[in-house]
Parts: sequence; structure tokens; C-alpha cells
Amino acid sequence: MSKIHLTAGIDVGSAAIKVAIVRSEASHEGKILSTVMQRIRRRRIDEVVETAFTEACEKANVGRRDFDYVATTGDADGIEFATGHFYGMTTHARGALFLQPEARSALDIGALHARALKFDGRGKVLGHRMTSQCASGSGQFLENIARYLGVPLEDVGSLSSTAQRPEEVSSICAVLAETDVINMVSRGLGAADILKGIHMSLSGRLIRLLRAVGADGVVALTGGLAHDLGMVKTLNEDLNVEKAKAKGKHVHLECRTHDEAACAGAIGAALLGAYRHDQLARSGRLAAVSASV
Amino acid sequence: MSQEVTTLGDPAAPLLARAQAAIEDRSLNGVKAWKAANPGALAIGHMPIYTPRPLIEAIGALPVAMFGGGDQVDIIRGDSYFQSYICHIPRSTIELALGGDLDALDGVVFPAICDVIRNLSGMWKLLFPEKWSAYLDVPQNFDRNLGGKFYGLELRRLARELHQRGAKELTDDALAQAIADENERRAAIAELDLIRQKEPWRVRASEAYLMVRAGAAIPAREHTKLLREFLGIAGDRKTRAYDNVRVVMIGSFCEQPPIDLLRALEKAGCDIVWDDAQLGMRTIEGSIELRTSEGGRSALDALVDAYCEQGAATASRYIGNEVKGASLIDRVQKTGAEGVIFAAASFCDPALLDQPMLETALNVAGIPHTSFKYAENTAQFQVIREQAGAFSDSVRLFGGGA
Repeated sequence: MSKIHLTAGIDVGSAAIKVAIVRSEASHEGKILSTVMQRIRRRRIDEVVETAFTEACEKANVGRRDFDYVATTGDADGIEFATGHFYGMTTHARGALFLQPEARSALDIGALHARALKFDGRGKVLGHRMTSQCASGSGQFLENIARYLGVPLEDVGSLSSTAQRPEEVSSICAVLAETDVINMVSRGLGAADILKGIHMSLSGRLIRLLRAVGADGVVALTGGLAHDLGMVKTLNEDLNVEKAKAKGKHVHLECRTHDEAACAGAIGAALLGAYRHDQLARSGRLAAVSASV
Repeated sequence: MSQEVTTLGDPAAPLLARAQAAIEDRSLNGVKAWKAANPGALAIGHMPIYTPRPLIEAIGALPVAMFGGGDQVDIIRGDSYFQSYICHIPRSTIELALGGDLDALDGVVFPAICDVIRNLSGMWKLLFPEKWSAYLDVPQNFDRNLGGKFYGLELRRLARELHQRGAKELTDDALAQAIADENERRAAIAELDLIRQKEPWRVRASEAYLMVRAGAAIPAREHTKLLREFLGIAGDRKTRAYDNVRVVMIGSFCEQPPIDLLRALEKAGCDIVWDDAQLGMRTIEGSIELRTSEGGRSALDALVDAYCEQGAATASRYIGNEVKGASLIDRVQKTGAEGVIFAAASFCDPALLDQPMLETALNVAGIPHTSFKYAENTAQFQVIREQAGAFSDSVRLFGGGA
């Protein structure tokens, strides 16, 4: 990088808007100045983007007109002040690499989908696999079940970790999984065991995605569910069991999370914005596409 | 980046809405109105890719480009006439015709595109024996004295047969005027294409597509007026550039991509700076030169020469693969494109047969490319959008290579 860049990334997810503001310097990795995540909660997307972006600017103590590049990602179609848009897979790979420099794979577990990514040392995606349309492999499903059980979302992870006799729910279909949960409740199973069972079910699906994509070594977790410590714990427990059983058949994987994992897409977008800003400057196309926040 | 943004307070929005309404006029109400205003005049439909519209206008008829049913028609009867492994457009065309939507047409020209359209012309003759129809066997020899002579005879045959059906007799003056009108239209389309290439954010590919296709069922002069009106407004639009990838899109010359597919590509970060959808309006490259100073040269000769000498390198034109590859690379370079998207209709033989050769040429030239298929009634674009988004990122961030 030839200069100091101030860039922003805006990740429009299906449940939340994430904003990251990053300062990048020549030959150094970027520094996160601020991150903000706001739940959409039936509000207009553009309104949530506006409030989240304003909050992120205030936290970073930067002005709206100071940006070299504002990059969007996710379902961001109508953000007028964006300079450019990057596809979610690209930004999650870049963000994962930034948060976990050892990782060459990521597991992005969002509200509606989960996907496994494999990437190189530049963050270029080499392969990916996604869950099918069914919501049973997603954060939204877990959130719904937590609500039915009357468990606050922030307690799901810790409660799951106390499970004694978990029972796995269906991983094929959210409707079947919900039926399983109803049966478990009627049989008197505790919330901790039910939540752990859901984590185990999700974990099985997610590990299959990682194997399908050819993941290797450290796997960076991104997306909202990366903050569910019960999910992280279950994933690594299952990977350890798999390791013990496989006897070298599979490459061992280790899932790692990060405090900013939910904002990985926004962080990746901001970092790529800085990279792209340099490219545009070199090609003489910068003036035409300057950010106009 | 988004359609919503570009049309907000947009002075071009009414014209774009008019164009959208024109292409959604599947029952040809506009053609019916034209016929009511021109009693006794014929409306002649024609399939893509290229039919010499000035010839039809010169005999007082209205050329009507037919693009199937798009995403507006549920195909029920059309499926019973064709096997499952062919493209969509003949099925939806039959569906529209059997449903009475094409009743306003007095005849149909089926230009040589592929075997499927040839079969459609035969099917048409069986289903509608009372209606005039003709298979226009365009030559694949481009020597003026061989293929050109044959083509001239074909055009005279069409004019003669239509005259017998009530059209005016073909005269040199009328054809020269129709060619002049067509040239005006082409000049306006060329200006539109130039804006797209220079400032793709000012006129998006999906918008240019609407404006060009809006001329499918109106006389050239009327279309030119519409295009000029749009061009006059285009400069006043409050738009701005986004950091998108510039792409050429090819393979969509016959069965048309849904307009939402073009919008999905735009939303995925692609500025489509050239495409071959609506190729019929661009098949002849440049103006059709009348060259009246050359003794004994008729307006029909001008039409023939233009076909032989100025035809774009398309899949339905039998020329060497290296010529088509070179033409595509030249197109990429002239438009400043950074990559190519092959977007072909499913089972489109001409497009899909050319594609491997074109891909090879692009590989040699180091031009990144991606490909997908669609049908005219495709309604879900998420997969295509993801693919185009990944392609856009790959080209912008990593130069498209490994």
C-alpha cells in the first residue's frame, strides 16, 4: 500500500448490519478503528445502515467525508454512498485471514446460511461449500429454538456447555428439528441438553462442509454464531473425537473464534477497499469512483 | 449499483417505463394500434437474430421482432410441439401464437439461426397454413457475386410474396428511404452504446437494453425519436460511478435473458459495456451505405452488400473460429472490458458450440471469463448473482487468474 487509507466496510446480513472502520498503512496490516453491529429488527435496511455507519464513525472519531473507499458486502444493494461492493465470500475470507492469520479456511455461520471457505495467503477464495436452503444449519434456527425455550441468546453458549445427556436433533430440516425439540421438551429434557443437541447437529453439518471444501489446520469462525461459545466448543469436541477415530485419515482441524468474528465480513470489505483504492489510483480510475459519503 | 438508486428522481424514468411497457406488450396491442392507424398495412413478425427490417418498412409493412414469451408466459401447449432438450423460445412462441397473442401479425419471417428455428418455421406452416410465412435462408458465402446474389434474390422473393399479400410494391426510392431511416436508428443506438462504454453508470446495460428492445415493434423513425429523447436526458441524470468490473456479455443473441438477470449482474458489480442481446439491431456494423454515386447500384444492393461485408461475427455466421475469437478480443479491447461473461440460453446450439473456441481465444489472450446458462423464464438469479459477484471480485482483486 502506498499511503494511509481510511476505509469502511458495511456488511448487510439477513439479521444484522455490521460496520467496520479500518486504517491501513503502507506495508502494514490494517488497524481496526471501530466495529458496530446493529440488529435489523424489522427496521428499514437503509436506516439501520445509516445509524450503524454514523455510530462507527463516532466511535472511530472520523468524519463521514474522510474515507478513501466505502465497501459494501452481503445483501447491500441500495447503499448510495458506497464506492464498491464485494461478494460476501471474498470479504469473509479476507476478514478471516485478518483475524486469524494462521487460518486458510473459514466457517461463516450466519443467520440464514453457513458456508465453508478455503483461501490462500492473499485471501483469495479457492473453494467453498454452502448449506442448502434449509434453515436448520443456521443461526436463525438456533435463535428461534432459544426463544421457544425462553433462553436469552447470550446464555445459549454457557448453558449448552453444562449439558449432561444431550440428544442430537435432525440436521436435515428445520421443521423436523423443531418437531424433535418439541418431543424433547414434552419428554422433560432440560434446556441445556436440548441446546447442546442442536449444537451437535449443527456441528456435524458444518464439519462435513469443512471436509468437503478441503479445509486444513486452523479454521477461522466468522458470522454471528462464531460468538456462541457452546457452538465453538462443540465443533472442537467433535473434531477431536473425529481425530481420535480417524487415526490420521483426516487432516486435523481446529476452529478458532475472535471477538470481532461477527464483523469479519465488514472488516474484510474495508481491507479490500484499501487494496482496491490503491489499484484504482495506479490505473488512473480513482477520480471516477471516489467515495462520496 | 442498484436500480432503485438510479431511478430515484430520474428524468429518464418515464421513458424507461414506456420501454418496459413496450416489451411487456405480449399481445401486440401497439401493433394493433399501428394497423388501425394504417388500414390495410401488414405487420410482419420476425425471429431473431437478423431480418432486414428496412425491406419490410419499404413495402409499407411494420416489422415486429419476436422474442418469445419471456417470463410472462406459462408454457403448456408449446411443450407438446418440441422435445425437452431444446431452448425455450420456440415453445413460448408457439404458446403465444396458439393463445392468439400473435394474431395481429399478417406473416412471419424465420431467418436462419439454427435447426430449432428452422423446425419452428415448419411447425408454423402446419399450424397456421392461412398465414404467410417464409424461411429466410441467409447465405453463408459472403462473396457479393455468389452469396450476395443469392441473398438479393431471397429479399426480392420476400418482397414479391408480401406484395401479393397486400403490401406495397418494392421500389428503390422507398427502400433507400427505409435504409436512411434505419441508419438514423443505428446511429442513435451507436451513441447509446458509446455512453454505456464510457460512462456505464450513466446508462446501465439493463436500461440500454430496454431502450433498444423498445424498437422491436415500431417503425425505425419512431424508435429513433424515442432513443434521441433518451439520449437527450441521459446527460442530466444524477448518477455516479461505482467500482465495478467492466465486462462484455455474449451468447444472448436469440432467446433473450430476463431483464432481471441483467439487473442481477449489475447488482453483482458488473458494468456490462457491450452485449449481444438485441443483436438484430447491431448485426450490420456501421451504416448501410447507399453509395448512389456508383452507377446501376440499387438500394437492395446496398442492403445485400451490408449483410455480406459488415456483418458482425456472430454464432449464426459461418466464419472461421479464429475470426470470431479475434473479433471478441477486439471487442473487449475497444470497450475497455476486463472480462467476458458467456451467458447463453440453455440448449442454444449456436452459442454453446462457439463458446469453447471463444474461451480458448480468451485464454490465449489472458482475458478472464466465466459462463452460465439461463432460460427466458428464469426467475431465480441468486446463483448467477453469486457467480458473477465472485467473478467480479476475482477480476478486480486478483486479475481473474489463479
